[in-house]
Amino acid sequence: MWISVPRNGAALAMLVLALSIGCGSAQQSPGPPAKAEARPPEASPNDIDGPTMFATLCGYCHQDGGRAEGKGPKLAGSKRSDEFIIARIRNGKSGAMPAFGGTFSEGQIIAILAYIRSLEDDGH
Amino acid sequence: MALRGKYLTGCAGLALAAMMTAPASAIDPSRLLSADQNANDWLTVHGSYKSYHYSPADQINPGNVKNLEVAWTHFPERATRGIQSTPLAADGVLYYSGSYSRIYALDGATGKVVWTYAPELDEELVAKQTHSPYNRGVALGNGNVYVGTVDGRLIAVDMKTGKPVWDTRLVDSKKLTVGFTGAPLVVKDMVIIGSQGGEWPWRGPIFGVDGKSGQKKWEFFTVAGTEEARATWGGDSWRTGGGGGWMVGAFDPETNTVWWGTGNPAPLYDWAGADWQKSGPRPGTNLYTTSVIGLDPDTGKLKFYHQELPHDAWDFDSAVGEFVSIDRGGQKLMVHPNKGGFIFVYDRANAKVQNVWQLTKNINFVKGIDPKTGELIGRRDLSLGKADTPLCPAIAGGVSWNSGAYSPKTQLYYKISQEWCMDITVIRTTPILEPMAQLNIGADFKLVAPPDGPARGRLDARDPVTGEKKWEINYKEPPLASILATGGNLLFVPDSEGVVHAYNAETGQELWSHNNGMGHNAGIISYMAGGKQYIAVPAGWGSLVSDEFAALWGEPFKSMAKNTGALFVFALKQ
Repeated sequence: MWISVPRNGAALAMLVLALSIGCGSAQQSPGPPAKAEARPPEASPNDIDGPTMFATLCGYCHQDGGRAEGKGPKLAGSKRSDEFIIARIRNGKSGAMPAFGGTFSEGQIIAILAYIRSLEDDGH
Repeated sequence: MALRGKYLTGCAGLALAAMMTAPASAIDPSRLLSADQNANDWLTVHGSYKSYHYSPADQINPGNVKNLEVAWTHFPERATRGIQSTPLAADGVLYYSGSYSRIYALDGATGKVVWTYAPELDEELVAKQTHSPYNRGVALGNGNVYVGTVDGRLIAVDMKTGKPVWDTRLVDSKKLTVGFTGAPLVVKDMVIIGSQGGEWPWRGPIFGVDGKSGQKKWEFFTVAGTEEARATWGGDSWRTGGGGGWMVGAFDPETNTVWWGTGNPAPLYDWAGADWQKSGPRPGTNLYTTSVIGLDPDTGKLKFYHQELPHDAWDFDSAVGEFVSIDRGGQKLMVHPNKGGFIFVYDRANAKVQNVWQLTKNINFVKGIDPKTGELIGRRDLSLGKADTPLCPAIAGGVSWNSGAYSPKTQLYYKISQEWCMDITVIRTTPILEPMAQLNIGADFKLVAPPDGPARGRLDARDPVTGEKKWEINYKEPPLASILATGGNLLFVPDSEGVVHAYNAETGQELWSHNNGMGHNAGIISYMAGGKQYIAVPAGWGSLVSDEFAALWGEPFKSMAKNTGALFVFALKQ
């Protein structure tokens, strides 16, 4: 279901913006009753700053901005699919990575994915 | 009559057997006061209020330690991120905690399970936490075992039965994301525990809770906890200041003062550069972060403090809970390691600096610290962008939260130093507060070797007051477990590859070792059961510092499991 994220900067920004707006629209459409638990806030276009979000949270484990292995694996050049990375950000991994699905909107998660895909892999 | 007499004899025998193996009656506060003289028990995480990590027990000594062997083992459930706690022992029963705040009470001589306790945690919240689900220890007192939880509660469990006595929520962890991983400290009738914090945008409170009822008695905010402190935070930055007191501290009964170390301010890294007093995300000195504080245990009122690093811009906090009480030449001193790799020596009456000495070799976040005043000399305040040269030490610190040991016999202080640095690029960030708080780093970084050689660890044997070194042992990787000194003149060091070493405490000569097969990230203790000395150490790998090891050193850390662990207990061969 997920569109593979392009690695071109301008196209990337447009895609992220479009996806974030799309996510927001989808949540306004009729659907099943909302659960009692708090839902993640929707991001405004100003919040869609993958590099900053990464440096706030993710860089603690994925070092050098995701370019190097640290507590967590190196992300630059990852062979994992977009679906896998999005699911991992959303759901985490027990004992290794927190689940950020309750914190980040879908648009923000895609922005982080876009940042990861923009990283150049130095082959190390 | 004969039958009756036989019956009584049997009952008496059973009662005697029960006394020898059953859990203790209530741990009276006076027992905690004299714990440093007690070779039989290990009553607090730091061994006693003096934080020596020392047992007077001397059955095991340099002459016979070669005969040490595994007496029994215990495997906890769900050892996610290994085991990070220091066991306790009282009256022949060993108590220790594992991940998810599970507690195990075991017969100290045989390992037979007396009881286990597994609190029901908010698993959905746990899955969202970074510093989780490990637990670093329990406390004994008032007939209870006390444990904190990562979902923000302090729980009392009956030490005889393992049944819960009370369960008090102290932190709104669903909102703040963090809770408790550190051990509590029992002082008289009070149970004191500090919340996680540091890079988490909250105010890092420390709590005093009535040990019998579970009622919260006081709460001290390590960020802007007084008007004086609030004035050291520009704008509203105090609201998201970090702090935290996530490792258990100590108690000085002579002055009725609890000593506690506080975490770093948030964000970890600051882009203000030299203008940090006026600009950046948290202008000012940011009291009482990266400080040692003295609290009245009865009221939670601040008695005194010393901020080890004003406006900590490097995550070299003071949260290490090790406060080593040393009496020398009529002076009553308190020795405390700072994560940056300096050891502070204070007057126990008021936290006035008496000396500061450098443990870690590779330090460049300051040029030095004035040993007379504690003032930082030549601060290296980072600005936005990539730093020209690596920052030393690395984020994992010149020392970590694992404690050293002090032997009153050798009068030496044994402490692990970590030698590593990191490339760093400082990035402007905004704290994430909704719907739940998240950590705020403010940088990209990568751990690298220091200028003087490979990344490595070292054990120093030094004078605790002057820092004069007697001997050292180098390790390929820093040991991350707390260590143990004994009255038998031995020093036990559980290392990161999984080997427990026993050294002659006078000379550093290695006398014995045993491979437990997985890295150590907990604390090692000595206790007696049935008149026999035992050495107990949990093995099990997976802390946030140990997570750095695979990238730096490869195997065995790349393959080391982080979801298993075991308690190994050693005794001399019969």
